[in-house]
Amino acid sequence: MPARVDGQDLAIWRAASGQTHVWGDRCPHRGMRLSRGFVRGETLACIYHGWQYGNDGGCTQIPAHPNLVPPKTICATTYACAEYSGVIWVALQTTTQVCRSFPGQAAVRSLAIKASAEKVMEYFSGADTGVVCVGGTNDIALALQPIDATHCTAHALASVSADRKEVSRWLESQRRSIELDLA
Amino acid sequence: MTAGIADHWYPVAMCSGISSPRDTRLLGQEITIGREGEQFWVRDVHGKTLPAIARYGHLWTSPGQPNRDLFSIPEAEAPGRRLVDCGAVRVKCSPLRAVENFLDIAHFPFVHTDILGAEPYTEVSRYEVQIREEVDEVWATKVKFFQPQAARSAAGGITTEYMYRVAAPTSAVLYKTCPPRPGEWDIITLFVQPLTEELCDVWPWMALYDDTSPLAELVSFQQMIFMQDRSILESQIPRKLPLDPGMEAPTQADLTSVAYRRWLKRIGFTYGAQVVAA
Repeated sequence: MPARVDGQDLAIWRAASGQTHVWGDRCPHRGMRLSRGFVRGETLACIYHGWQYGNDGGCTQIPAHPNLVPPKTICATTYACAEYSGVIWVALQTTTQVCRSFPGQAAVRSLAIKASAEKVMEYFSGADTGVVCVGGTNDIALALQPIDATHCTAHALASVSADRKEVSRWLESQRRSIELDLA
Repeated sequence: MTAGIADHWYPVAMCSGISSPRDTRLLGQEITIGREGEQFWVRDVHGKTLPAIARYGHLWTSPGQPNRDLFSIPEAEAPGRRLVDCGAVRVKCSPLRAVENFLDIAHFPFVHTDILGAEPYTEVSRYEVQIREEVDEVWATKVKFFQPQAARSAAGGITTEYMYRVAAPTSAVLYKTCPPRPGEWDIITLFVQPLTEELCDVWPWMALYDDTSPLAELVSFQQMIFMQDRSILESQIPRKLPLDPGMEAPTQADLTSVAYRRWLKRIGFTYGAQVVAA
């Protein structure tokens, strides 16, 4: 599936083994979006010419030349990613930071907001790197996916015992007031 | 606009579709087209008359001064051929990406699955490509590919032979094995009207030996193929065609596209092209 982070187009896919990958959304061959491709076992295949890419992003198969071992130079752009509490995290730049974990919390829903991630962090004043911890009885945390200067997506996590509907309604009301704030 | 771009011929309409005058767009400029009796005319935004040729079912014009006649397809004029207007498919992509996709066979099994290609018959064997200096055209010959249903008139899977010809920067001709008449070629063309650098109208046109298929079926077969292509063409990044090698990674199956890009660069045709690597 496609996603956008900081203006970059990404392709997110899950291999048959369950491993998640986040790559640049562009096949090196003819620029086709890899998010439109299909998963075969542990590889992602581009929908245009069926070129397959393995775990490390390297091209493993070119169907037009079945007997050719693809050169190592043909490679999709890969990014470090992790999956915690039902949320997929990506680092677009090399980082030594360990991805935060949220023990006792689970993903509730994702909501698109017409505001930059910075604005949302400002609104909640007191944020760390892209995560807003709201706390409260439901122990809500918002993981913010910056999209561009005017859009972000908030992925809401809450304690496993939280009332999911309540969290969801709360998130919608927050979105309304953030967007009204900017209007 | 440089002469290298303005001085070519471009399709701007299907002749059968012109009744009263109407506006369209060519290379980012408004133009008006119309007819008086059998005579077609084209005017630019200042009212200046532009050259007009009605040929191969379409109206052709040029905003510049073409130094040669519109290319010819002698085979299409042979008696007994059915000339099929297919209408236009509007695609949000570079006109050059649309032509390049038309020259490509390796995508058949994945984009036109079970029609023009099918796994496991994905291999593209070596074929020949030339830039023919004397006519200033790109030609690919001896292109062979296994196809489950090569044409509306094909009953089952056959190995189809193709020749591709880039006759103008945004016009290409495909010569293809003709199922009912071995030894003859069916002709399918792709006339692309560049509306802007990232938007085009694609006018497929055919000259076939097929007396049996109903017209509506011939047209809907082509339309289906181009709709499948459109879903690809609107998802390529960047939208413009990169002319610099290194930005995209071709293989032997892409020889036609490599020659097409090289030829565009050589003749200075940069409309819809990305020249500087991003």
